[in-house]
Amino acid sequence: MKVEIELNRDGESNVIEYDYARRAADEKPMILDVLLQAQATDIPDLAFRYGCRARNCGVCTVDVNGRPRLACRARIKEGDRVSPVKTLPPLADLVVRRDGVARQMRGRLTSVAQGNNLNQDAPDDYHALTACVECYACLQNCPMHARNFTDGANPNPSEGYQWGNPFSLLKLQMLRLDPLSSDAGRDQALAHAEDLGLDACRDCKGCKCGVGIDLMGKVVRPLLEAAGE
Amino acid sequence: MTIETEWRNYDVVVVGSGGAGSMAARAAAEEGSRVLVVSKDPIGCSDTKISEGNATVRQVAADDDSEEALSENLCMAGGNLPVKDITDAFAKDSKTAFDRFRAQGLRPAIDHKRNNPKATPMAFGGHNRRRSVGLPNHGIAFGHANWNAVVQGNGVDYLEDAWFLDVVTDTFDGDRARIVGGLIYDASGGKLIAVRAPAVIIAAGGLSTLFFPKTDTMRGNTGDSYAIAARAGAELVDMEQCQFLPFCIASPPSYEGLLVGEPASASFLGVLRDKNGKVILDSVYQRTRAECSAAIMRAVADGRGSPNGGAYLDMTGNKVLPRSGPYFMRYLETCLPGAYVNARQAFSKPVAKCEEPWEVRPSAHYHMGGLRVDAVGASVKGEGAGARNLGIDGLFAAGQAMGGLFGANRLGSTSLTEVSVFGSRAGHAASQHAHAFKGTIEDNAFAPVIAATVGRFGQAGTVAAATLKQKLQKEAWDTIGPARTGDGIAAIGPIIDALTARLDDVAIPAYATWNQSFIEFEELRNLLETARAVAAAAGERDASLGGHVRLDRGDISIFAEPYSTVVHRGVDGSYAVRRVARPKTPLKQLLAYKAEESWRQFQSKWFRFLPDAVKDRKLETRYQAIMGTPSGAAREVEPGSDDAAVAEKRAA
Ligand SMILES: Cc1cc2nc3c(=O)[nH]c(=O)nc-3n(C[C@H](O)[C@H](O)[C@H](O)COP(=O)(O)OP(=O)(O)OC[C@H]3O[C@@H](n4cnc5c(N)ncnc54)[C@H](O)[C@@H]3O)c2cc1C
Ligand code: SF4
Ligand code: SF4
Ligand code: FES
Repeated sequence: MKVEIELNRDGESNVIEYDYARRAADEKPMILDVLLQAQATDIPDLAFRYGCRARNCGVCTVDVNGRPRLACRARIKEGDRVSPVKTLPPLADLVVRRDGVARQMRGRLTSVAQGNNLNQDAPDDYHALTACVECYACLQNCPMHARNFTDGANPNPSEGYQWGNPFSLLKLQMLRLDPLSSDAGRDQALAHAEDLGLDACRDCKGCKCGVGIDLMGKVVRPLLEAAGE
Repeated sequence: MTIETEWRNYDVVVVGSGGAGSMAARAAAEEGSRVLVVSKDPIGCSDTKISEGNATVRQVAADDDSEEALSENLCMAGGNLPVKDITDAFAKDSKTAFDRFRAQGLRPAIDHKRNNPKATPMAFGGHNRRRSVGLPNHGIAFGHANWNAVVQGNGVDYLEDAWFLDVVTDTFDGDRARIVGGLIYDASGGKLIAVRAPAVIIAAGGLSTLFFPKTDTMRGNTGDSYAIAARAGAELVDMEQCQFLPFCIASPPSYEGLLVGEPASASFLGVLRDKNGKVILDSVYQRTRAECSAAIMRAVADGRGSPNGGAYLDMTGNKVLPRSGPYFMRYLETCLPGAYVNARQAFSKPVAKCEEPWEVRPSAHYHMGGLRVDAVGASVKGEGAGARNLGIDGLFAAGQAMGGLFGANRLGSTSLTEVSVFGSRAGHAASQHAHAFKGTIEDNAFAPVIAATVGRFGQAGTVAAATLKQKLQKEAWDTIGPARTGDGIAAIGPIIDALTARLDDVAIPAYATWNQSFIEFEELRNLLETARAVAAAAGERDASLGGHVRLDRGDISIFAEPYSTVVHRGVDGSYAVRRVARPKTPLKQLLAYKAEESWRQFQSKWFRFLPDAVKDRKLETRYQAIMGTPSGAAREVEPGSDDAAVAEKRAA
């Protein structure tokens, strides 16, 4: 089975065709199977991220035919093209630089450890949001995140991106849903969402989560409602 | 072009951002230290994040769950190898350690009657009490808490995509070694970072990648914790004690190694069969992980294994009974939700529904051995439990990186507690050490390791590290994996030597940003070092005990004088191994323990041969007691009663 893999190294980019040898006649491999086999055979220094092979760690996201997929749990077929996700700066082959997203949350996570009674049940929506594996698939087509790069801007990820994304909104909405947060903490989380560019969500078609979290219903709309339409 | 080196100063450097690293960082920052967390995976991405998310919380189900009971439980289960100071520390802190995650946003369901987190309905593998707590979204929920702990700031800086390569030491008071910092490869920044710091906490996880793809853990478990410590001259303890989970997927390949069940989830009537259908282990739910793994690997060694090198976990007996069968399926689905998701995805429908047996094979999961430390995670050397004033000054370890807590066997759900207990202890102790540090840190102590590392970028060679790594993984599985023999252990030495000799022939391009070849090279270097330590310890332990299964030898008697293995790397790179004595459990206690175990197994064996109708009715009652009625309402289970400990106490 032939697939295309985009290689980026030391400033040079090219696409190679890799012929995957099926391990069973009826095998329908995952993207990660192909990458692991390529590394074990023809391209030993192929750079890609993975961790758990089971859709839990969230680091293996790549684009397949231009759409973000978790490599360990998405099938690949003849002729598909694997490339680094295009929403973040490339580092090597399929590896992109992720840390600009988390960095923007520094100082924005109001601590919940303020002597409150810990023994309170969190609402179901809170638990729905802890399903997020931080795969960044939701950065695709997010106009808020795209603002970081408009007009050829080249932001420094080490300082954290200025504009937010569905993931950073999700982290803030978790603070708002946490029964242990104070009212001031909730207001602060909302203010951070607005700083990060929540306004962009008002006329956006909406975001999509790589693991199926209802981002519009459980993150974006509640934040917009709180901010006042 | 040579790779640049940047210099920084901190009080405490923490290697790893799993549970142990995150909790260590927060504890050190609370004491006013300037802390740097270094993580090769993105922050929070770790075994902690991908775990089943069950944690031990003492007294969560009953007030009389004493420190003594838990400490003794760990010692006995660990074959008397655990260090008492360390199990005592675990038992003491295990009531509140979980709250440190809660302070970072972890929100368990609450038992409002007891005003504490809600306990799981059953006792976990090997526990003599019900004292575990589960979480919606299992380990991923812990991942969020750890991420919050590190990313928030408040005294903690961090680097992700950054490989901690080695600690840097100098000597004081004559020739005692002490930490003065470390060297880091910042892959996304494309530079080396030399950190001057008087304390380093190693929380970099385990070594299961030595057996890839026969593992359910994160790719990053390349033994970095042990290799870094060993190269610095620290001692490692119980390194032969690798825990293999018996019930992992053998095929299809995309799922190879992933967890599908535990002894307890096999439930009352689960048995193991060889390829001819013969029962090779009954009463599976009463067995330890090691016993199940050993039964499977013995069948494989005798040529009675399944096509993919395993055996068959047959749970059809649970499923077919008309009244209790449906309960069993609900039990299977809920007791290890992550594992059952793997089974459903990997197996065909009838197999996943337990209408047919599951082909399973052991997988590397956890390393009980590790850095030899005291109850605050400080490096120790010497006889018995060791002494801190003989260890590497300023070196600490926590979580899977440390040894001495579990000995020969780790009980279920204890590791997520271990990371918090010893992460915080190490964080506080490292911080105090840093504040008390009086010496001056000389930059020339860093010169050799910087020069050696810079020299690797642009190294000419003919082989790829990834290729050598695969060879090592395959050989390690066959020789120091879940089934060992004297010959196999002896054979791995020359293989490691040959692979080590090829390190200088690994081709590494010169570019600095995310140099995959360099990363593979470093991880191979650590895997080789770790394999040496495991082989040395395994060679010394000349019969089976816990995670160390010798096919050519029997079990070490529980009445024998217990000892731990301690390994130490010499300057020439070879490993010396010796035994340190461990205190023996009093005879009366041992006999009681043995009698209880035999009685349990006798009861469950006998139960299997009852008429189906009788079995069915008795099982229905049992399941109702642990999981509630069909309407879903959980029946109240008396905390600490037999009902509460389905997998441990005698069958109906
Ligand atoms: C599938 C699975 C299920 C499990 N279920 C449970 C359970 O239900 N209950 C339980 O108690 N235990 C469970 N465990 C075990 C438990 O998850 C681990 O033992 C525990 O999380 C280890 O935590 P740690 O902080 O020591 O290491 P980890 O969480 O593995 O963290 C290691 C960290 O070190 C970093 N690192 C490694 N090397 C370097 C380096 N050289 N430089 C920089 N950073 C480095 C990694 O990136 C990572 O961030 C499970 C494990 C697995 C794999
Ligand atoms: S709704 Fe908001 S967060 Fe979602 S994609 Fe649109 S702009 Fe981004
Ligand atoms: S919200 Fe969904 S898509 Fe976005 S990072 Fe989390 S899991 Fe991935
Ligand atoms: S490898 Fe962990 S989510 Fe894909």
